[in-house]
Amino acid sequence: MAYTTFNRNMNDQMKEPMFFGNSVNVSRYDQQKYPIFEKLIEKQLSFFWRPEEIDVSKDRIDFQQLPEHEKHIFLSNLKYQTLLDSVQGRSPNIALLPIVSIPELETWIETWAFSETIHSRSYTHIVRNISSEPHKVFDDIMLNQKILERAEDVSRYYDELIDGINLYQRHGAGTHVLNGETVSITLRELKKRLYLCLMSVNVLEAIRFYVSFACSFAFAERELMEGNAKIIRLIARDEALHLTGTQHMLNIMASGDDDPEMAEIAKECEEEAYAIFMRAAEQEKDWAAYLFKDGSMIGLNKDILCQYVEFITNSRMQAVGLKARFSTTQNPIPWINTWLVSDNVQVAPQESEISSYLVGQIDNEVDSGSFGDFDL
Amino acid sequence: MAEVIVNAQAPLQYDSGQRNLLDFLEKQQHSLNFQCREGFCGACRCTLISGQVRYLQEPLAYVRRGEFLPCCSVPASNIEIEIPK
Ligand code: FES
Ligand SMILES: [Fe+2]
Ligand SMILES: [Fe+2]
Repeated sequence: MAYTTFNRNMNDQMKEPMFFGNSVNVSRYDQQKYPIFEKLIEKQLSFFWRPEEIDVSKDRIDFQQLPEHEKHIFLSNLKYQTLLDSVQGRSPNIALLPIVSIPELETWIETWAFSETIHSRSYTHIVRNISSEPHKVFDDIMLNQKILERAEDVSRYYDELIDGINLYQRHGAGTHVLNGETVSITLRELKKRLYLCLMSVNVLEAIRFYVSFACSFAFAERELMEGNAKIIRLIARDEALHLTGTQHMLNIMASGDDDPEMAEIAKECEEEAYAIFMRAAEQEKDWAAYLFKDGSMIGLNKDILCQYVEFITNSRMQAVGLKARFSTTQNPIPWINTWLVSDNVQVAPQESEISSYLVGQIDNEVDSGSFGDFDL
Repeated sequence: MAEVIVNAQAPLQYDSGQRNLLDFLEKQQHSLNFQCREGFCGACRCTLISGQVRYLQEPLAYVRRGEFLPCCSVPASNIEIEIPK
């Protein structure tokens, strides 16, 4: 079953499974097998924002005054997020579009990935502002061992799925000898790779971002790097929606209504799903240790952040029908919720913080004290 | 006026001045997990043991049977709920 960009089969889209049925022909939304995906698209579009709308100019001054160990925390998180969104901006499209079979889900995937490209562009916006040598920040992503270790796990499940799909769509199910190497693939194996991939994406968007989010908001609690925090809030709002999209896919699969084989696979993969969550939680704790290796920041240290990782991992596991595995039941940083509430996120053009509306005005109230040796 | 039983404690009177059950429960000193407060993240999920709630807007978050989202609902009858630990 090779992929075709416009399938000529006159299929009933309402009878297709989410994945591995006919490839989609007409992009139509007058009938929907799973209306939730159309609603997610609408919500995501209503969230639309542009990085350039957020004024980060005061952050430059804040950043220069941060002690070295806090600069390390800030930049490392930014690099890690850049990695995560690099992966997320392309992978849902590359891995999922060739196998999706219903139009509203296909369009959700595209909408989802598109919003990740906004996140990626926002990191450049932030870095350009705080550093006169932005290339150094980005270049280091490919050199930094701690980041590369994470890249390995973040991309592995996507890559295995993509590899399987390529093989299957080119050569079909079975054992093949390609360039002298024997490889085999079955549809069931592909479904398994898809399920695990979605589980790993769920972990990426549900847990991996949050250590970094917590640090950004901890700076902002001290009224530092507030432009950055404003961007992170918009990203966090998008991520919460992406997470919901993936949770819907996983739960529809586990229910078996869509594809009975998927329900079997969900059961079969349960231990591996636990392992994906636990491994990510351990890696994030390890990341917390790296962030704070030269010192903690006010309001946040390695232990608190590790407890937060456990807390959030528990709640994410429960959301996809797994059991909580950590004993932590309390959120050790309840103040983070206020930063994560979406109705406080303001990007309306009348808001004075928006740079595109401030042309010819003086941005932000930079109090003169922060200019130090500036003679006014 | 609806009664709300939380974690098998004494019933509370739902106060119609509250925007939704999450606001109400917080005012009663219950601490709940939350994030979006708009029904799309699922962080506030609770168990509905008995009774019915009415959604003020359709929740986008995944809700299993027997669960509900307090951030975007109000009681539609006397209800008994459980806040997850
Ligand atoms: S707080 Fe997000 S769904 Fe209730
Ligand atoms: Fe993102
Ligand atoms: Fe995302």
